Amino acid sequence: MLIPLDPRQWDFSKAAHLLNRAGFGGTPEQIEALRALGFTNAVESLLDAPDDLQLFPKPAWAAPQNLAEMRQSILMMAPEEQAEKKKQQQKNARNEVVELIGWWLTRMRYTPNPAREKMTLFWHGHFATSVAKVKRAYFMWLQNETLRQNAFGNFGKMVKDISRDPAMLIWLDTRQSKKEHPNENFARELMELFTLGIGNYTEKDIQEASRAFTGYRINPFNETFRYAPFQHDDGDKTFFGRTGRFTGDDIVDIIAKQPACASFITKKIWEFFVADDPHPGVLDVLAWNFRQSGGAIRPLMREIFSSAAFYAPDVIRSQIKSPVQWLVQTAKELEIGIPPGPLTVNALRQMGQAPFIPPNVKGWDGGRAWITTSTLLFRYNLSNYAVGNGPMGAQKLRLNGELKGPERQVTPSAQLNLAKIAPPELRDDSRRLVETLSKRLFQETPDARVTGSFVKFIDSKKPDTGDATMRELLHLMMSTPQFQLT
Amino acid sequence: MEHNEPPTHTLHTRREFLRTSMLGAAAAWTLPVFLQKTFLTLDAMAADSPIQTATGKDGTILVVLQLAGGNDGLNTIVPYADDAYYRARPVIGIPKDKVIPINDYIGFHPKLAGLKGLYDEGRLALLQGVGYPNPNRSHFRSTEIWQTAGDADKAEVHGWLGRYFDNCCKGAAPTVGVSIGNQTPQAFAAATPTGVSFSRPEQFRWVNPGQNRDSSEAFYRELNQPEETNAAMLDANDGGSVAAIAGAKRGGGGTLDFLERTALDAQMSSDKVREIAKKYHSAVEYPKTPLADSLSLVAKMIAGGLATRVYYVSMGGFDTHTNQVNTQDRLMTYLGDTVAAFCKDLQAQGNFNRVMLMTFSEFGRRVTQNASNGTDHGAAAPMFVLGGGVKAGLFGRHPSLTTLNNGDLIYNVDFRRVYATILENWLNAPSELVLGRKFPLLPIV
Repeated sequence: MLIPLDPRQWDFSKAAHLLNRAGFGGTPEQIEALRALGFTNAVESLLDAPDDLQLFPKPAWAAPQNLAEMRQSILMMAPEEQAEKKKQQQKNARNEVVELIGWWLTRMRYTPNPAREKMTLFWHGHFATSVAKVKRAYFMWLQNETLRQNAFGNFGKMVKDISRDPAMLIWLDTRQSKKEHPNENFARELMELFTLGIGNYTEKDIQEASRAFTGYRINPFNETFRYAPFQHDDGDKTFFGRTGRFTGDDIVDIIAKQPACASFITKKIWEFFVADDPHPGVLDVLAWNFRQSGGAIRPLMREIFSSAAFYAPDVIRSQIKSPVQWLVQTAKELEIGIPPGPLTVNALRQMGQAPFIPPNVKGWDGGRAWITTSTLLFRYNLSNYAVGNGPMGAQKLRLNGELKGPERQVTPSAQLNLAKIAPPELRDDSRRLVETLSKRLFQETPDARVTGSFVKFIDSKKPDTGDATMRELLHLMMSTPQFQLT
Repeated sequence: MEHNEPPTHTLHTRREFLRTSMLGAAAAWTLPVFLQKTFLTLDAMAADSPIQTATGKDGTILVVLQLAGGNDGLNTIVPYADDAYYRARPVIGIPKDKVIPINDYIGFHPKLAGLKGLYDEGRLALLQGVGYPNPNRSHFRSTEIWQTAGDADKAEVHGWLGRYFDNCCKGAAPTVGVSIGNQTPQAFAAATPTGVSFSRPEQFRWVNPGQNRDSSEAFYRELNQPEETNAAMLDANDGGSVAAIAGAKRGGGGTLDFLERTALDAQMSSDKVREIAKKYHSAVEYPKTPLADSLSLVAKMIAGGLATRVYYVSMGGFDTHTNQVNTQDRLMTYLGDTVAAFCKDLQAQGNFNRVMLMTFSEFGRRVTQNASNGTDHGAAAPMFVLGGGVKAGLFGRHPSLTTLNNGDLIYNVDFRRVYATILENWLNAPSELVLGRKFPLLPIV
């Protein structure tokens, strides 16, 4: 087991770090409440939080359709009618995706179980699937739910569920794979990206595994997984030195037992939740324990969040926020809502991370790749919007050129409670004001230079310390390299 | 003021920028002495031999166009006279009578009339069978190999263009490499991160709607530059009792350092980029494609004289595992028509002779179609290099369709020969320094 943190070192900064990394951060009050629980209880409160299903009912459209029937009815329409119907369906699909992204971000923002959503976000990046090819928002919702249900469960089971997941069957072409010509797409990514990592299998392994995943179909009557035995190649396969009439599940079982699998997964989890370039010794311990447990995810996360290494000084506030993290954490820190759906989607796209639309099956590179001159300026300008300084200047916010109407006028400024965030009684004491706001935005006070700039800014505005000045100050504080870190 | 001071003020270097912004906008600060010294040493540095300055007005420009996903080379340049082609692709093979012939063996995809036009005008070099030894069929690994110009069995971190920036563009404006979009391609990854990215010039700035904008702007600028430039100011701040941010360490290429440099690059380039975007309007009509948004923006920046040596543009959707015929028709239409419009635009500007566009994709696809009327990941494929300064024609042999390596075409031109040629003969850069070894050049420039 990794050396755990000495509970006597548990303090506000470490509680903030845990909440930021295991979830999406919180207000100073929420961090204080987590601190007050004590170290062990704090970790447990995140790993074993109440279910939030009742709070976030699924979108109304998230239900299976009878595709076979629908296709039939479209076939019987006149050509113009068919085109009209198709157009309508595409439009619905687009709106559904926008709603789905907003639905998920809202869940991340308000859920009493943020660690599960964060873990689900990790798995989404891991089993990265895009609606761009899947086309059906319902399937994306369904996959999201599968990832959520398995988020803290067993890794091998999750991989099996994913191998039958309709969105994945479409995304990596498994549903079209026949025994005469097995499609290698899923088998390749299964090993390269989902379980083992490149270099830990052969091209022959891919070819053999792809035979085992033949016959996986989607039932057009109820949009569920269907196994088609006549399309399945049930002959002998030789995989990782063993020969047998392996099924897809057998392949997953063999893979999940490989030492490379435990190393690959624990490394990726560490890099997502903790830091790049983990110490090999740390990884060896984690991978060993993960493999011994048969791929149990919750104990792995408990070990990580309890370890002294997780709270090392060079880990705290060293990670670049992902765009999703940026948006949700900002909303939580400023105690505002998630912007309207189309705006949220547009913002996430421009920052480089729209959930359900990852760039490819490898997911998002993350880390420094989040930051370019373009995305950094966009983050700064989005801060401006978040603090209520108008709809991001005079820019047009486009989502496939469709965003018009009332959404453009909506700003969350009305929601921003400046009397609470920047209490009027503090505003005359520039330094105390900056320290108070810093605790909210950075969970600690930045270095003297940066703090000095903020203080000088207020001093330059005095005696005007009204709400407009406070918004400007918040915008300035968020328009910094420091605010991009968590 | 000296006589040789340029009449229009362009900021060429980070340091020069810092000097002006600190003397100008943030005039309250005094210039730290150690910075004045480095300004002087910079002038001396400029005399170093491989260092190039991009002025934007003359000098050659490279535009890299990535076709992401693995473009099916055999259906791009079609060996229509080879029976083996139709045997391997009974459904998705492009019928002989549809192919736009180049010679009596190969021809362009029917939707690539735009490129055929350039070929006929003597503006396009077509390189056949481009690849590398021990091809990798992973999108990600193979893309990495192309972006870093490394060997298939060795992981290389920095990109080939990044190494060009590192070796040849020290002290250049951050816009020396421009990537259109929100991402920085791995090809730009460098020891000293160089290059900017943007997609919508009008949004490429810090928006500050507050009152008294200039003063806020000065604070914004001050907060968004590397620590070194501010070190001397620390003394000026009296309250020193605050805890430093624990994590991201400054200097030594740490995360905060990286963020600060990117922030500074954004500041330095955004005014110029927006100014050019506002000023220049193309007379040429581009087709309505995402690629056209990118390439027309590149054309604008070239017209406006942005100090850039390399532009990077990418287009996706080439991973055609299923029902590829319709998808590829659409992609080829986008590609051919948009690139043709781009060339027309540059010709109208009078800049065509100093711009070269190079396409690449991480791999071609398997020779035999799969059961889903698509193609799986393969190996060697053709590359296009085009522009006013290109020696047009056909280069390399077409790979055999019957002598294969695991069902894949065998390359006969190493892509790094293309890079080496472009570096040496187009960017006038020492290719051996950038690529780590010598590659035989190709007669395409």
